[in-house]
Amino acid sequence: MSRRTPLGVVVLAVIAVAVIALPLFGLLQRAAWSSLWADLTTGEALRALRLSVWTASVAAVGAVMLGTPLAWVLARSRGRWVSAVRSLVLLPMVLPPVVGGVALLAAFSLRTPIGGWLHDTLDIQLTFSPLGVILAQLFVGLPFYVITVEGALRGLDTGYEDVAAQLGASPLTTFRRVVVPLIAPSIAAGAVLSWARALGEFGATLTFAGNIDGRTRTLPLAVYLDLETSRDSAIALSLLLVAVSLLALVALRDRWLVRR
Amino acid sequence: MKRLLAALVLASALVGCSSEGDPKPQQTIVVSAATSLTKAFTEIAAAFEEANENTTVQLNFGASSALADQIVGGAPADVFASADAKNMNKLVEADLVGAEEPALFATNLLTIVTKPDNPSAIATLADLSTAGVVSLCGVEVPCGKYAAAALAKAGVTINESKVTRGQNVAATLTAVAEGDAVAGIVYVTDATGNAKVATVAIPEGLNAVASYPIAALTTSSHKTATDAFVAFVNGAVGQKVLQRLGFLPAP
Repeated sequence: MSRRTPLGVVVLAVIAVAVIALPLFGLLQRAAWSSLWADLTTGEALRALRLSVWTASVAAVGAVMLGTPLAWVLARSRGRWVSAVRSLVLLPMVLPPVVGGVALLAAFSLRTPIGGWLHDTLDIQLTFSPLGVILAQLFVGLPFYVITVEGALRGLDTGYEDVAAQLGASPLTTFRRVVVPLIAPSIAAGAVLSWARALGEFGATLTFAGNIDGRTRTLPLAVYLDLETSRDSAIALSLLLVAVSLLALVALRDRWLVRR
Repeated sequence: MKRLLAALVLASALVGCSSEGDPKPQQTIVVSAATSLTKAFTEIAAAFEEANENTTVQLNFGASSALADQIVGGAPADVFASADAKNMNKLVEADLVGAEEPALFATNLLTIVTKPDNPSAIATLADLSTAGVVSLCGVEVPCGKYAAAALAKAGVTINESKVTRGQNVAATLTAVAEGDAVAGIVYVTDATGNAKVATVAIPEGLNAVASYPIAALTTSSHKTATDAFVAFVNGAVGQKVLQRLGFLPAP
């Protein structure tokens, strides 16, 4: 802090940190350390952990596969429709997650045209299935990926691509060999961000995919259920989620938070 | 300036004296009740407020297990109406309710609910094990415990990988009514009048009887009002509302 920072500003800054830090320390203090390992390794906890990790990973990969082309289109196109589409895609970031869940139900439950067709033709039911969990996670995680990568693409000097085109590279080759290496850090950051968001998803998952042990009960849902049955277990799983979130932030290493 | 001041003082004095006689102080009592009592207690509370002008009833519904944990954890409440004795006992053990206080005021039965046309042709509890995704209440929620008892009596095991657990009976019903759950087990009172589900009765011998106790908390600061509310629920008006909505009388 510079000598010129007013005391009032410092006090408010400390209070701001306390608002975040106190609940986290409360969690640490409330944890039942003696039974922590036992609580984390119960059948239900391990199933929830395994489910959360693999569904969030698939959702993150989905975000990369679908989000990169979208980010490209948004970054390189002109016209008023661009900001309209961007607002639409970023909507899940500000939408209450449970609303997302209700919307997903309205679009993909068995009674809808799409849901019904998937069930009758491909024997796929999205609700109450891990696929539904992944879809809900993709719904909330994709915007994070798109906003990260689109930002990177916008900041790219198109000169490199022009030179590559002049040297005879096809658009796909240019993308693969010039653009992607340049924005690789942002792709990684976007993937980690959407993975972390997917991991923590609760409202949309609960509403759309339900709460089935081993199939759709992700870690956040397990915490919610455990609040009544075993408070110690809920706290242990909460600490696990905090630790994973911290790891994700370390992986991002200021890249998202501090513009270079 | 002095005249303005005098006028203001006079006006405020008049306002203070405007009520007829000594008005009874407004009080609010907080009633925490099981989700299955939502319709019944909303009506009962409205009737109680009409009969007691100075009392407002603030209703708080949720799974009895969640409510009991909250109250024991310090959440404010004056009256607790639970869907089973176990959760009421949590309050007795925490000295929030006297041991002789809880009075049973109603009982309830379970029913199977399905989609309106019952496409999977569910006729018995056994059919639930092969039906598809079944919606049940959480294992600690009273309706979940009662459902488990009924299934155990019928010798039926539903694979947990096909059971979606709702945090209270309303959420459990919604999974069938609005969602894609094929069937569920909820209280008879939740299913009656709901056009989005069809009911399949559970035979008397296999059904679980839910007993609802109600008690005023010892920590309440409105003793008269809370005792009056409990008496109201147990009295003629309260019982009429409960029976009209499908509850059975207490034994």
